[in-house]
Amino acid sequence: VEFDVETVSLFLALLAVVAEIATAAAIVLAVGGRFSPALRRLGRQAVEAVAPQALALAAVVAAVCMAGSLYFSEVAHFPPCHLCWLQRVCMYPLVPILGVAAWLKAGRVRPYAGALAIIGGCISSYHIALEHHPEWESGVCDPKNPCTLIWVKRLGYLTIPTMALSGFALIITLLAVSRAADRPHPSDRPRSEVHG
Amino acid sequence: MANRNARSGAVSAARKKQPPWLWIGVTAVVVVLLAAAVLAGGGSGGKSKSTKTAAGVEQTRPVTVIGTPLPKLPDGGTDPAIGQEIPEVDGASFDGTPIDIRNDGKAKLILFVAHWCPHCQREVPLLTKYLKSHPLPSGVTLYTVATATAATSPNYPPSAWLAKVGWKAPTMADSAGSKAADAFGLPAFPYFVAVDGAGKVVGRTTGEISTNDFAALAAKALGNR
Repeated sequence: VEFDVETVSLFLALLAVVAEIATAAAIVLAVGGRFSPALRRLGRQAVEAVAPQALALAAVVAAVCMAGSLYFSEVAHFPPCHLCWLQRVCMYPLVPILGVAAWLKAGRVRPYAGALAIIGGCISSYHIALEHHPEWESGVCDPKNPCTLIWVKRLGYLTIPTMALSGFALIITLLAVSRAADRPHPSDRPRSEVHG
Repeated sequence: MANRNARSGAVSAARKKQPPWLWIGVTAVVVVLLAAAVLAGGGSGGKSKSTKTAAGVEQTRPVTVIGTPLPKLPDGGTDPAIGQEIPEVDGASFDGTPIDIRNDGKAKLILFVAHWCPHCQREVPLLTKYLKSHPLPSGVTLYTVATATAATSPNYPPSAWLAKVGWKAPTMADSAGSKAADAFGLPAFPYFVAVDGAGKVVGRTTGEISTNDFAALAAKALGNR
């Protein structure tokens, strides 16, 4: 079995697709649940199933993203541009933060981890936009390492910042799922509070 | 409150009893995806496949520079190379055909491109299309130098890229150390140098340029300012 750059990048791209599907499913359940009782029930079941492990899962997602970025820079020798570094600044701390939070069951770290993930996701989005519009960065290519340079493109659209965005989005989703489980469900409230 | 506590207790009991189905599922998905990636062998667009080139085709070739190199094009202000004689650069195309950029009494435009540069990837097709309908004046020769070539960078090899976009101008494969680019004072990609019939620099610019600017550079090389 050969784990060359092509195989590893395809594996990471497939993981990114799974992350995107999971995020999209969570959005559909969250939004659709406002209108459909069936989706609301399904969403509640999903939250109950995933929430106890959501922080640990988010830590694993961050760890996989970190390992992937280190693979691309240290093994494949794709030098990270400055936007890649900014995304690393947001992603790498999430590994210990979420890992320790999962271990201690410390849900109160969610706002801090969420803020890092949202900032990282915004940087990834800008990086993706730059890849499509290189003229936004500059009209020329810096011979050193421009952020518009596309090192990897799998399945027709998955570049390195796209994979990073998928990771950030899944982490935000898992944090939201973890939070949703802590909030009392409307059916748990006293009758007078619900109707009053 | 009692209802909430009861629910919380039930959830916690469920958590304790629950087998790790979630982790088993996640692990199974990861294993399946890993197997798919290995079986697909990296799939299409693989670098190992794209780097294959025909026999005798080299992406870098030895380059000899004779004369004084041009100073690097500054970010702004006056270009110190204007009026300076260009160095003579002897090299070869990807297939080994000799290409020499010399003071041969002819006006010339020299375009330096890097295969991995997204701006070059936009500029070359634009100029290819333009030159089909607007050939350069007969007194101007267009040369291309494929430089900063790296097998680990995207869109490799440059020979395949230029052939794919239908680029017809004679193209020199720069040396592995980009000697030709250094000799012409390249600061960024794409890079244009306009040279008059006396072998002197009359204009240099970097970045994507419009077809009008390209035509203006050609006119400058001919002495029509």
